[in-house]
Amino acid sequence: MNYVFPLIFLVVFGMLMHVERGGLTVPVVTMVLVIAMLGNGLFGGGIRTVQDREQNILRRFRVAPISPAPLLVASMATGLILFLPALVLIVVLAHILYGLPWPAQWASLLILSALGVVAFRAIGLIIASVANSSQESQILVQLVYLPMLLLSGTTLSITMLPSWLQAVSQLLPATYLVIAFDAMLLRGESLARNWPAVGVLVFTTAAATILAAQLFRWEKDEKLRPSAKLSLAAILIPSLIFGGYQLHNNGQIAKTKSLHRGMLRNQTLLIRGARIFIGDGRVIEIGAVLVRGGRIAEVYDGAGPEPKTLSAEVIEASGKTVLPGLIDVQVNLASPGGVLATPRRYAPRGQMERALAAYLYSGITAVRSAGDPFRLSLAIRAAIAQGQRLGAELFVYGPPFTAPGGHGTEYTANLPEFQRRQIEPELVRLPATAEQARVQVDELQTAPVDGIEAILDSGGARPVPRMDSDVFEAVTQEAHKDGLPLAVHTGDSRDVAEALDAGADSIEHGSYRDAIPAESFARMARQRTAYDPTLSVVEGYRDFAEGNAALLERSLVEQVGPPDLLKGTRLALSSPRFASLRAGIKSYPLDFDLAKRNLIEAYRAGVMLVTGTDAGNFLVIHGPTVQRELELWVAAGIPPAVALEAATYNAARLLHADRRMGSIRKGLEADLLIVDGNPLADIAAAGNISAVIFKGEHVDRTLLFHQE
Amino acid sequence: MTDSGGNAVTVHGLWKDYGDFEAVKGIDFAVRTGEIFGLLGPNGAGKTTIVEILEGLRSRTEGEVSVLGFDPEGQKDRLKDRIGVALQATNLPDKITVREAIGVFGSFYSHTVDTARLLQRLDLWDKRSQYYGRLSGGQQQRLALALALVNDPKLLFLDEPTTGLDPQARLEVHSLIEELRAEGRTVLLTTHYIEEAEKLCDRVAIIDEGRIVALGAPAEIRARTVGASVIEIRCEQPLEGEPPADNAEKIFVSEDGKELTVTAAHPARVLVEIVKWIDRQGVELADVRIKRPTLEDVFLELTGKSLRE
Repeated sequence: MNYVFPLIFLVVFGMLMHVERGGLTVPVVTMVLVIAMLGNGLFGGGIRTVQDREQNILRRFRVAPISPAPLLVASMATGLILFLPALVLIVVLAHILYGLPWPAQWASLLILSALGVVAFRAIGLIIASVANSSQESQILVQLVYLPMLLLSGTTLSITMLPSWLQAVSQLLPATYLVIAFDAMLLRGESLARNWPAVGVLVFTTAAATILAAQLFRWEKDEKLRPSAKLSLAAILIPSLIFGGYQLHNNGQIAKTKSLHRGMLRNQTLLIRGARIFIGDGRVIEIGAVLVRGGRIAEVYDGAGPEPKTLSAEVIEASGKTVLPGLIDVQVNLASPGGVLATPRRYAPRGQMERALAAYLYSGITAVRSAGDPFRLSLAIRAAIAQGQRLGAELFVYGPPFTAPGGHGTEYTANLPEFQRRQIEPELVRLPATAEQARVQVDELQTAPVDGIEAILDSGGARPVPRMDSDVFEAVTQEAHKDGLPLAVHTGDSRDVAEALDAGADSIEHGSYRDAIPAESFARMARQRTAYDPTLSVVEGYRDFAEGNAALLERSLVEQVGPPDLLKGTRLALSSPRFASLRAGIKSYPLDFDLAKRNLIEAYRAGVMLVTGTDAGNFLVIHGPTVQRELELWVAAGIPPAVALEAATYNAARLLHADRRMGSIRKGLEADLLIVDGNPLADIAAAGNISAVIFKGEHVDRTLLFHQE
Repeated sequence: MTDSGGNAVTVHGLWKDYGDFEAVKGIDFAVRTGEIFGLLGPNGAGKTTIVEILEGLRSRTEGEVSVLGFDPEGQKDRLKDRIGVALQATNLPDKITVREAIGVFGSFYSHTVDTARLLQRLDLWDKRSQYYGRLSGGQQQRLALALALVNDPKLLFLDEPTTGLDPQARLEVHSLIEELRAEGRTVLLTTHYIEEAEKLCDRVAIIDEGRIVALGAPAEIRARTVGASVIEIRCEQPLEGEPPADNAEKIFVSEDGKELTVTAAHPARVLVEIVKWIDRQGVELADVRIKRPTLEDVFLELTGKSLRE
C-alpha cells in the first residue's frame, strides 16, 4: 500500500493534468511525494501509534527496560524505510512516463525527503501523544492533514491563493517542503539553497519529538487532560518563526512565484502552419516551431510533426506570422510617456513594472534602459529574470556617463543640493577626471550592468556642457576593457564622429540637427557600429508640440496605456494650461526629416540598424513602441524585412544576447510574437498580436496588469 | 541479587493512593528466593497495583520495597533488565513473527538466552515464522511467557497467566511454571483462580480491598482459618448406635440412618475409625467423600464475601 497509492496518484493525476506536456510534471511529482509523506507520517506514525496503545501493544514494551525515545525513533526509521524506496520509484516512473529530468542532486533530494519524513512522523507522534482514542487521533490528523494538503502548494499552487492565505501558507511546514522539492526537481537546486525548508523541518522534528516523548503514554487508560492537546500547536512554532521571517522579507513567496513561473515555462508548445520570420532575414512560408523546456526545440519547414506524437499544446497559426520577440533598445521606464492626470500617484517602481508588463503585452520581449533609477532597475531586472514578475526582459546599461550639468542631469538640476546628491548617483555618472571615469565603469561592471552608455551632446540651440574628450575616452576604453557593450548618445554629426573614433558599439539617436556625413556611415558599416535612429521620440515631440493626439488613439496604446496617463496627456495636448509647455517643446532642435534622411543614408551605407524609441518621452508610451518605430521606418523607405531584422536579430546582437534571443533557431530561448497577417507585406500587422510566448510560457496577456 | 534474608522481594508498609482512592493500604510481605508466590484476590482488590509497583511501572505513596535488591522506583531500568514480566492483556503487532518478537524484545536486555532453545522449550519452534496475529490464544500466551524469559530472569512476574485459556492450555502453562521453580527461579503470580493458587503456589497472600487478609502456604492458611474438613459417608443399610467421636468435632446422622456427616480437623484419623465401626456392623459402604476446605472457604470466612463475585 505504501508504494501502490503514490504510483496510482502519479499516473491518474498525470493523465488528468496533461503532465506529459511538461509544465506540470514537477508539481504533480511534488504533490505525489508530499501526499505520500503526509500519509506516512500522520497515518503511519500517528494513528498507528494510537492503535498500538489501544491494543495494549505499547503496554508490552513498557515492561521492558526502554524509554519512549527509542520507540519514537523506531517509528521515524520505519517511515524512512517505507518512504525512500517510494521516492526513488516515483522519480523513476515520472522520468519514464513524463520525461521528468533526473534530479541534479540526488543526495539533496534524499536528505530533504528524509527530513520531511522524520518531521511528519514527529508530528504524527505528537498527535498520538495527545489523542486519547483512535477516533480522536483521526480527527486531529485530519485537522493537520487537510490544511497541509490544500494550503501548502501541494495540490493548489500558492500563487493562486489570495495574499492573506499565502501568508497563512508560510506557517505550515509542508509549504517549505513543497517549495524545496519544486526547486530541486525544477532547477536542480541543492539542499543548502533550500535552508528555510531544512530549518523548518529540523526544528519541527526537534520540537515535536521532545513533546511527544514528554507526553508519551503507554496505556490506553492513562488519559490526557484536554488542555494538553494544545501542545499540538507547538509543532507550528518553528514554522511560525520562519514564517514570520519569510513574511517579513517575502523570500519564500517570491520563490514560490518564481518556481510557478518555471513550471509554466516548462510547457511543450507546437505552433503550426505559420509563416516564420527567422530574424536573420530568412522566412519559412509555412512551418512549425516546437517549444520545450523554455527553449525553441525545433523549427520545421512544412507541416511539422503530429501534435499527438509530441504531447504538446498546439497553437494553430495558419495565416499568422511568428516573429522573434521584438526588442526596444532604448527606453526610459520610469518616465510615463506623457502627463499624468494625478501626478501624486506616481511611484517609480510601479511605473517601471507596469511599463515592462505593457511591453510584454505588446510582444516586445526585451528592452534596454540606461537612465532609470539604478538600484530599482537592477532589482526589477532580477525579479523578472527569476520569474517573480512577468514583464519584458530588462537590459540595464547603468546610469549614463555625462558631463556635470550636461544632458541627462536636467531632471535633478532644480532639486535642493542634499536631495540632488542622493538621487544623482541613481540616474547619472558625472566623472570629473579620466581616472574617476575608469573607476566608475569598473564599479558598474561589478553591479553587474549589461553595458555602458555615454552621452556626447552639446545641446545644439539649447547648449549644455558636453563630456570632456579625455573623460569620454576613458569611459569607452574601460568599457571595452571590461567587455561591456558601449552605447553612445549623440546630438550631432561631430558627436557621431567622436563616438566612432572611440569605437562605440552603437550610435544612439545619431543627429536631428544636421546630416551625418556619408563617411561616418561608411565607418559605421566598417566598424559594425549599430545605428539607433529613435524616430519615435522625434515624432512624439513633434505631435505633442502640435497638440496632435493621434498616437494615443492606436489600439495597442489604448489597451496598455494607464487610463490616468492617457487622460492627463489628452488634456495636456488640448488645454491652454499646457500651451507654454507645448511651445517650449516646439523649440527643441528635433528635425524629423533630417532624422529620417540620416536613417535612409545609414541603410544605404549598409549599417547595422537597431530599433530604439526613447520611450517614456512625450507620446512614446510604453507598450507597442517598436511597432510604431517600424511603421516610421517603412514610411521613410526602409524595407519591412530590414526593419524587422533590426528589431529582432540586430537588436539582440547589439545587446550581446544573440545566442539567447533575437531569432527563431533551435536552442534559443523561446521569446516569440505571433501576429495576424504578414508584417513583411504590411508592417502594421506587427501590431495585430495573436499570442506572446516568453521564455517558453504562453503568456496570459490579460493577467499582466494584475500582478500583485 | 537478593536481600540479606534470602528474599527476592520484600515489601514493608506499602501504601498507594489514587487521589482519594486508597488502592493499597499498608502491606507487608516477602517473596522467598526460589518459591512460587501467589497474590490471590478478587478483581479490584489491588493485586495489579501491587505488582506494577514491584515491576517499576507505578510509583508508590509510601513504604519500602526491594526487588532483587533494587528500589523499583529509583532503579527502574536496572530492575527491568533483570526481571521477566508477563502482563495480562498485552498484544504484539499482528505482522510480527514469533522469531522477530523474540529478537526485538531480546535487544532491550543486557543478557539474553538462546532464541532457538527458548522457542523449543515453549513449543513455539515450529511456529517461529508465523505472524503473531495467526497464533492461537495458547500460543500467544506461550509467546508472552517466552518474552518474559528472554533475559533469563531470576524473578518472574506473571499477571493472571492463564486467564482466558482453555483447560488444556492452562495445564500446559501450569507445568511450565512448575518447571521454572525447578530451575530455581522465583515466580510471583497473581490469579483469581483458587485451584491455580492451591496447585502452584508455595505460599499465597490473600488480598482484599488493599489489605492482606491471609498469608502463608495454602494448607497452612486453611488450617489456621477454617481448619476442619467434612467427611460424607453414605451406606446401603441404615446404621445403628453412636459412631466413635473421639477425634471428630461434629457428627451428624441422617433420619434414615444411611448418611453420616463428620466434621474433623484431622479427617484421615477419623475416617479410619468410622469406617472400622461401620464395617463391624456389617453395613456396606455406598460412597465416601472428603471435602477439604478451600481457599474459597477461607476467603469467605475471612471477608464474608465470595471470591468469585
